[in-house]
Amino acid sequence: MILVLAEHDHASIKSATHHAVTAAAKLGGPVHVLVAGHDAAGAAKGAASIAGVAKVLHADAPHLASPTAENLAAQVLAVAPSGYTHLVAPATGQGKNVMPRVAAKLDVAQVSEITAVVSADTFVRPIYAGNAFATVRSGDRVKVLTVRGTAFDAAAGGGAAPVEAVPVAPAVTRGAVVTGQELTKSERPELVGARIVISGGRGLGSGENYRKLLEPLADRLNAALGASRAAVDAGYVPNDYQVGQTGKIVAPELYIAVGISGAIQHLAGMKDSKVIVAINKDAEAPIFQIADYGLVGDLFEILPALTAALPAR
Amino acid sequence: MSSYRAPLEEMSFVLNELAGLAGVAKLPGCGEADPATVAAILEEAGKFATDVLEPLNRTGDLRGARLLEDGSMRMPPGFRDAYWKFVEGGWNGLAKNPEYGGQGLPEVVAAAVEEMWHASNMAFDLCAMLTQGAIEAIERNASPELKALYLPKMVSGQWTGTMNLTEPQAGSDLAAVRTRAVPQPDGSYRITGQKIFITYGEHDYTENIVHLVLARLPDAPEGVKGISLFVVPKFLPDAQGKPGARNDLRCVSVEHKLGIHASPTCVMSYGDGGGATGFVVGEPNRGLEYMFVMMNLARYSVGLEGVGIAERAYQRAVAYARERVQGRAVGLEKGAKPAAIIEHPDVRRMLMTMRAQTEAIRAVAYVTGAAMDHAKREPDAEARKRHQAFVDLMIPIVKGHSTEVAQEVASLGIQVHGGMGFIEETGAAQHFRDARITTIYEGTTGIQANDLVGRKTARDGGAVAKSVVGEVAKVARRLGGSGDSALKAIGSRLAAAVATLDRTIDWLVSNAGGNARVALAGSVAYLRMWGVVAGGWQLARAAEIAAAKLAAREGDAAFLQAKVTTARFYAEAILPWVDAHAALATGGGEAAVALPAERF
Amino acid sequence: MKILVPIKRVVDFNVKVRVKPDGSGVDTANVKMSMNPFDEIAVEEAVRLKERGVATEVVAVSCGVAACQETLRTALAIGADRAILVQADGELEPLAVAKLVAAVAKKEAPQLVILGKQAIDDDANQVGQMVAALLDWPQATFASKVEVAGGKATVKREVDGGLETVELELPAVITTDLRLNEPRYATLPNIMKAKKKPLETLDPAGLGVDVSPRLSTLKVAEPPARKGGGKVADVAELVAKLRNEAKVLP
Repeated sequence: MILVLAEHDHASIKSATHHAVTAAAKLGGPVHVLVAGHDAAGAAKGAASIAGVAKVLHADAPHLASPTAENLAAQVLAVAPSGYTHLVAPATGQGKNVMPRVAAKLDVAQVSEITAVVSADTFVRPIYAGNAFATVRSGDRVKVLTVRGTAFDAAAGGGAAPVEAVPVAPAVTRGAVVTGQELTKSERPELVGARIVISGGRGLGSGENYRKLLEPLADRLNAALGASRAAVDAGYVPNDYQVGQTGKIVAPELYIAVGISGAIQHLAGMKDSKVIVAINKDAEAPIFQIADYGLVGDLFEILPALTAALPAR
Repeated sequence: MSSYRAPLEEMSFVLNELAGLAGVAKLPGCGEADPATVAAILEEAGKFATDVLEPLNRTGDLRGARLLEDGSMRMPPGFRDAYWKFVEGGWNGLAKNPEYGGQGLPEVVAAAVEEMWHASNMAFDLCAMLTQGAIEAIERNASPELKALYLPKMVSGQWTGTMNLTEPQAGSDLAAVRTRAVPQPDGSYRITGQKIFITYGEHDYTENIVHLVLARLPDAPEGVKGISLFVVPKFLPDAQGKPGARNDLRCVSVEHKLGIHASPTCVMSYGDGGGATGFVVGEPNRGLEYMFVMMNLARYSVGLEGVGIAERAYQRAVAYARERVQGRAVGLEKGAKPAAIIEHPDVRRMLMTMRAQTEAIRAVAYVTGAAMDHAKREPDAEARKRHQAFVDLMIPIVKGHSTEVAQEVASLGIQVHGGMGFIEETGAAQHFRDARITTIYEGTTGIQANDLVGRKTARDGGAVAKSVVGEVAKVARRLGGSGDSALKAIGSRLAAAVATLDRTIDWLVSNAGGNARVALAGSVAYLRMWGVVAGGWQLARAAEIAAAKLAAREGDAAFLQAKVTTARFYAEAILPWVDAHAALATGGGEAAVALPAERF
Repeated sequence: MKILVPIKRVVDFNVKVRVKPDGSGVDTANVKMSMNPFDEIAVEEAVRLKERGVATEVVAVSCGVAACQETLRTALAIGADRAILVQADGELEPLAVAKLVAAVAKKEAPQLVILGKQAIDDDANQVGQMVAALLDWPQATFASKVEVAGGKATVKREVDGGLETVELELPAVITTDLRLNEPRYATLPNIMKAKKKPLETLDPAGLGVDVSPRLSTLKVAEPPARKGGGKVADVAELVAKLRNEAKVLP
């Protein structure tokens, strides 16, 4: 049996859980989902509807409202002994916070951020910032895993698993106490280190167009904004936007180059990006040689369409 | 994209294996310089160079230092902050006397660290370099009172120093200095005159700037024996060292230069309001003599600038050559994918030339640095003298040859980039422009060569030069007899080169007197010859040591193998230049001085 | 108050690692090694707490080969007061390191253990949480701000979508995130002083810790190489590919 620790906001289940369930389903054996929260019937229901889930365990208590690692780990440990071979969580802020605690208490290793399941005891995970992938086998009786969501498809909906209330583990006495939360407003991430970067070039024609076309897209994707030197020189954006040899060096998971031809100096600043998208009207632009996905066409039509095709955050 | 990384593995190899760091660490006062500590120092200095200094290098080039209406200097953005980080890091005092707050580390360690400053931001480091010269001049010659008042602040970097030698009519010929110094009843002097080419003569880093100024007393004899050295601070410190009244001196303009734009090169005017207050250093009329002692160190530092810029240009060229994809590599199967240009043989030839020459000048510089430590600190006077003789011979070579090599390496760096190298944004052009001053200031290559021919070779009948030649020949013989084919090849080429140098010394010793014009016309060729042979000598030693380590399965095999290969390339492709230089050095200069001046 | 700072010696973040041709791991022979950057932030934070008068002693600890001494010296140069090397020659998994650190913590009785959230070599992100679990101490991972007063630490931590503030009763474990501080450069005088600071060597057996591995690495491979030049016909295809093929969009 496999237990997946759900990621949710009490009212509903978060998509990270769907990706983790897909990974869990590859391990062999029925997949149970633990929803630990407060007034979290909505989330439990959401978990029950994920295809491939056999049962939802629902632990509900006030101290699980803003759950600490200590309390969540205690809850996982409380249900873990009932025959689970794998304890799985999405590799989110919460999963990373909780699961090593669980593993240490069980005296087993954790395998972090798996990107593939080879067999029930063998997994692939990135090391050295994704510059290498290790295949590791765990010899422990219980496998504690966190799952990189982007490596597994989201499990579909349409399931109807039973929801079972489980006893709540008592609050840990010597644990952290959450005293406040600030959710980030739509402040954009910094260029260096951002997961997604959108850069604009001379093809945008003006600073006004740059803002009008790129900012809404960046808002949708929570992306940082960058620019080619040509766009900086033309005064569309300030100097610190510049990506390239003499600007910032970025290697995001997704880099979207808009109206950038791809001078070698620009490529030097972004060519290590994991996925590169290029949008340009000139099919011969050098940027297309390194782009994974090139889209030739009028960026004034493409950009609004692309923005509209993405869900608002 | 290339960002400077201090070549730590290479530096450690040269320090430990060639310059004999362990031996230096055994000298009195050098006990702190154990290999582990030196490695930690180099590592942190490398971080500082990469993270703090290099990011400012291009900004400094683009923005430059600007003189404002009010007479103050606006330094490029970030430079002041970086300077204070440098001072707070304690870097300014690395090799300075602990008595004044320095760390007292050996020169050879300072050499490696300085190379990093030069490589990452030469214009920035000039400030510290000039301060170092001023410290040296004060420490060696000034009264205890002046030392106590000025040295602690200059060693820490709280105050900076400058060297005011040149005047419009007095460039390489300092005997022509006209700045006046008139004694005052209180023992001070009133200084009036104009100085040019004053590096960091004005800036916004520090609360005070200490100018060392060459000037003439009213009753001074003509020529070189009538020049005195003065401390002339921008603000006159009180007894506690707090800067007080503004002295009567100012920067009246800043030069527009080919390179090192961030380093303010000032025209300084003394005494526009009646006279600046100065304090004599040591005895009157001995200023030039003091300057020349100090100048050894300054010339050595400029040689290190050559090493630093060459290294930087090399790193940038390698990074580009790895990245730039053009054409298909020759000799690979048909249908192969387009190759990075590093796969093309001629690009290889250029990169190897850059690499081998850079490693050679570094090794010669560090070995000379270690000799400076021995010359200063050996307990035995004879040993000190022996090392000093070697240092005196090598200084014009380190200065003259390293900086000339830097021109070639920086130029090849542009060439590797092709058209992109000619574009400023790529960065290769800046190294070329920055490097250009190094063969000029602190004595042009011609001046170094004169020194090498006259004072360093002919004067003692070639004795010191011959003793070094003997050392080189010994290494050449050892390698020539090696069973290893690479070492054998290196040894035989080096033997031929050093034999040519030996004959050239003989020719010079017998002709420098009677045939001085011809000898001096070939003097730069003689200096370059020395540089090439000395580099071959050190790279041969490096190859020998690397081969021994490889045989013993010690250390980083890829690094050591590259050492052997680089030395072999040098022996085969660089050492042959010795023949061409020899032709010019031994009488080939006759035509150079034959044409009547009016035919030009 | 004493702070224990566990640090790890890793391949320098500037080094582009290469996978060994036989797939047995990455090639770490003769590459430049440095302190894990997140641990550097931890040392800096501990030293700042000492400079603010909150802490009285900062003890750096590293588990691994003898060369970890160099990394410990770096911590001493930044401002740690003394160092402990738990010398072990084999590869140490996060659980083993956590047990060693917990054992040292029992011996040293610090009020705070501050360490990096993850090491940039194995990217495991486990040790801090495991130490907290083994000691039954409260934890605050991914800290971006730390204040210590009245026997409590108040920590702002980076969570998905914002920040969360937690209070921890001491003793406690804190792991550092990038924004917590910007580590200083070690000064030359402090580098010179560092070699005179005490460095003690322990071993796992002496601490009663079994460090045998639980995982075996079967293979290490390069990530799939980039194949540029792909084209899509329209926005719909682009979005679909980014979602389903590249998996960079949710």
